[in-house]
Amino acid sequence: MMDKLYLIARIADTRVALRSRAINSVVTVGTPVEVPGAPPHVAGLFALRSRVFTLIDPHVVIGLPAVPVAPGQRVIVVDVAEHGYALLADEIEDVCFIEAAETRIAGKLLPGWARVADAMIEHDGASLLVVDPSHFITLPALKAA
Amino acid sequence: MDDLLNDFLAETAEILAEAGGAIVAWEADPADRAQLDAIFRSVHTIKGSSGFLALPRVTALSHAAEDALDQVRRGNRPANAALVTGVLGIVDRLSDLCTALGQNGVEPAGNDRDVIGALDGDIPEDAPFEVAGVPLRRDDDFSAELQSWRSIRVPLPLLDSVMTGVTDIVLARNEFARMLRESGADLSVIASFDRLSDSIAGMRQSVSQMRMQRIDKLFAPLPRIVRDLAKDMGKKIAFQTSGGEVELDREMMENIRDPLIHIVRNAIDHGIEPLEDRVAAGKDITATISVSARQSGNQIEIEVRDDGRGLSPDALTAKAIASRLLTATEARALGPKDKLDLIFRPGFSTAAKITSVSGRGVGMDIVKANVEKIGGIVELRNEEGRGLTILLRVPMTLTIISGLMVRAAGQYFAIPRGAVREILLESGDTVRIDQLGGGELATVRGEQFPLLRLENILGRARDEADDGDDRALVIVRPGQGQSYALSVAAIHDHEELVIKPAAPMIMATGLYAGTTLPDNGRPVLLLDVQGLLATAAIDASEAGRSQGRMAEAEAEAAAARNAVQLLLFRDMNSRVRGVRLSVIERVEEVPASALFESAGRVQAQVGDDIFPVHAAAPPDGEGTLKLLRLYDGRSVLCYPIAEVIDIVRLPDVVQPSAAPGLIAGVVLVGGDPVELIDPFWLMEQYAAGAPAPALRQPLCRLADDHDGWGGNFLAPILRNAGYRVALGDDAPDEAPDVLLCLTEEGQPCGHADGDVPVIRLRTSIAAAGPEDETVYRYDRQALLDALRRQVGGESA
Repeated sequence: MMDKLYLIARIADTRVALRSRAINSVVTVGTPVEVPGAPPHVAGLFALRSRVFTLIDPHVVIGLPAVPVAPGQRVIVVDVAEHGYALLADEIEDVCFIEAAETRIAGKLLPGWARVADAMIEHDGASLLVVDPSHFITLPALKAA
Repeated sequence: MDDLLNDFLAETAEILAEAGGAIVAWEADPADRAQLDAIFRSVHTIKGSSGFLALPRVTALSHAAEDALDQVRRGNRPANAALVTGVLGIVDRLSDLCTALGQNGVEPAGNDRDVIGALDGDIPEDAPFEVAGVPLRRDDDFSAELQSWRSIRVPLPLLDSVMTGVTDIVLARNEFARMLRESGADLSVIASFDRLSDSIAGMRQSVSQMRMQRIDKLFAPLPRIVRDLAKDMGKKIAFQTSGGEVELDREMMENIRDPLIHIVRNAIDHGIEPLEDRVAAGKDITATISVSARQSGNQIEIEVRDDGRGLSPDALTAKAIASRLLTATEARALGPKDKLDLIFRPGFSTAAKITSVSGRGVGMDIVKANVEKIGGIVELRNEEGRGLTILLRVPMTLTIISGLMVRAAGQYFAIPRGAVREILLESGDTVRIDQLGGGELATVRGEQFPLLRLENILGRARDEADDGDDRALVIVRPGQGQSYALSVAAIHDHEELVIKPAAPMIMATGLYAGTTLPDNGRPVLLLDVQGLLATAAIDASEAGRSQGRMAEAEAEAAAARNAVQLLLFRDMNSRVRGVRLSVIERVEEVPASALFESAGRVQAQVGDDIFPVHAAAPPDGEGTLKLLRLYDGRSVLCYPIAEVIDIVRLPDVVQPSAAPGLIAGVVLVGGDPVELIDPFWLMEQYAAGAPAPALRQPLCRLADDHDGWGGNFLAPILRNAGYRVALGDDAPDEAPDVLLCLTEEGQPCGHADGDVPVIRLRTSIAAAGPEDETVYRYDRQALLDALRRQVGGESA
């Protein structure tokens, strides 16, 4: 059943579905601590229960300009390779079961989205991209550079 | 009962490990009463517990050791090498027994009379080799360690969970404190909250230390290992440790214990040359091995440095090819560094022969693998002929460091306290800042440092709110021989910080060594002091910076060089004698058969040369013997010795001998009389010895040697007298220094060249007349005299 559980959120101005098993929790952040010299998608650091998390701005990963972090903004906490990260979410909508199967992505996506999206899924009469949060952690532009 | 036994074993194992080091330290300074008392207490503890558990062998052994040590404490018995060896023997036996106890649960049957007997001391006093200078740990360290013997064992995951729990409590407390302040709570509530807060802070402190151990613990068994090995191999080694206060995660410590011991053993076995080679290389006879630990950025560096022969890249390559690890073609493609790295190949062993010490199949490959397993690296710094330094860098993840909190660009950063040498206000009197071609230079009390501004390196603007008067300079020393001044907006305070690695993309900036959570709950980045340098692309090397100090150091070194050094050796008749080191060219080891008697005196064949030997008769029997090669600038004389003992500074007071002879006088070295060899007298005895081949010998050309008399009769005499001879009439490459003309009487010498002196030889014994300057060809003395007059050559 867990396989069918998705988090519906708006990240980088797009509604997406995230597989719940990839997600640690959803929390709110205060003002993060900046990391001078870090890659642009690193929005800062914040502490949660004695762990330090790295805040990621998905806008930058997709290729959009960075957005400032608003106090109290909700973030999606994920663990990748034993490090804690948090994706800034524009809006957290819902956690729900989606019975429909994931389907292959039809149509051409922007390069930024094409890299992070795994599949599509049908929910409430709309098609959502299924994205893997770990793809947001690395920045393709930096790798190319 | 089982629990009791386990506690006993754990406790005893720790006591024994500590005691080994303590005993060796005490041996180096027998007057150190505190050290002796500590050792006494530890064997006493073992005796007490073993008696309780009914372990008769352990009790008997510890009793014997306690007894002997007590005799020393009462002054009834001197502390000497034999006693120390005896006590160490007991310690070893106790370790063996404990191992057996741990495996079988019962004390094995056996007899310990051998080690106990050894303690009572029928062993010859003072074995010739001792470890010189063993680190003396500070007394307070030792008593602190004593207390730590009372300990229990806890699984590491449990410790981890306690640590996270406490950190969470701290964060919750901070949150709560803020809410209390904002709600305007009752003073009594705040007061009791403060009490809670204090105890939480104290608890956090203790929890932080639970996983950490001083690296001292890792160093503790080393002095013993060095002492025993040095003794076995007949080497003199001064062993030093430093940086023992650096703390390291227990788990890390377990992982580097074996590699460290292996590296130290290797250094003694392969790195340090035999005494004779050290003398020959002009090195101090006592080798130095130092092990030091320090914190560098987010890593702990453990350095093992020896002043032995270092690694020879070519020898390593040849070895690797010989053991078929490498083909000759592959070898040619290797750079110098790759060649050194060959020692990390599995199956590689650097010693030409496998010794009992390090050639046991545990190679540097295992060392490397172990260190890399915990995320560390092994680095080699090789100075061929002068020593090898092996550096282990292990991450200090989870280590707790004392960090200095600084502010820049409106946020806080931490700097490892260990790398901070000094903190100064930028506006202070002692600081001068100069702008130099776009760069900045800080001069602090005459010492110059490149200046880095933290905001610039981080690419941030200065915070407007910062007060310029608060700006401070932190003098940072990221590694040995490097330093720079880091300018920050303000200094905050320093705190004990738990460092965790930051996300890979943050570590990749090279600016940060990790993250930490101070009490306010806002993450702080730990600066990588070495990485900052790299980012700023500044050469922070201290070399050549401060002229004054360098000149001073040089003068000191020169003074040390000028001091007359005395080589102490044991003579063939086992007398201790000394000779000025400067007259010794080298020490040769030759087979006894290389010495032979010829023309009434003993000579030695060394390589292609034959040298006179100061001996009445060639030695009997087989084996090798050592020859001191005395060299006076012209000729060489060999002096056979039994062994080299030491190099010491020549004492000022020499009691001269009454008559000139082999012994110039007697000096006192360390309270014992030493006969001083007179090299002047020795050389005088053998002055007509072999001329040194290195000198330029004059060239004689023999002209008109038609019947071969010159080549067959004259040339050998000339060569013996130290001339080179050119025969034949063909044009010589080198202009001769003198021309010997064998032309028939009455004919002019057709080869005379205006510049070259000519000596004409005649065949008749009688001179043709008073004007005749020719020399009769069989008058050896007249001929040689004539030659010497012309070119100043040597007479036979």
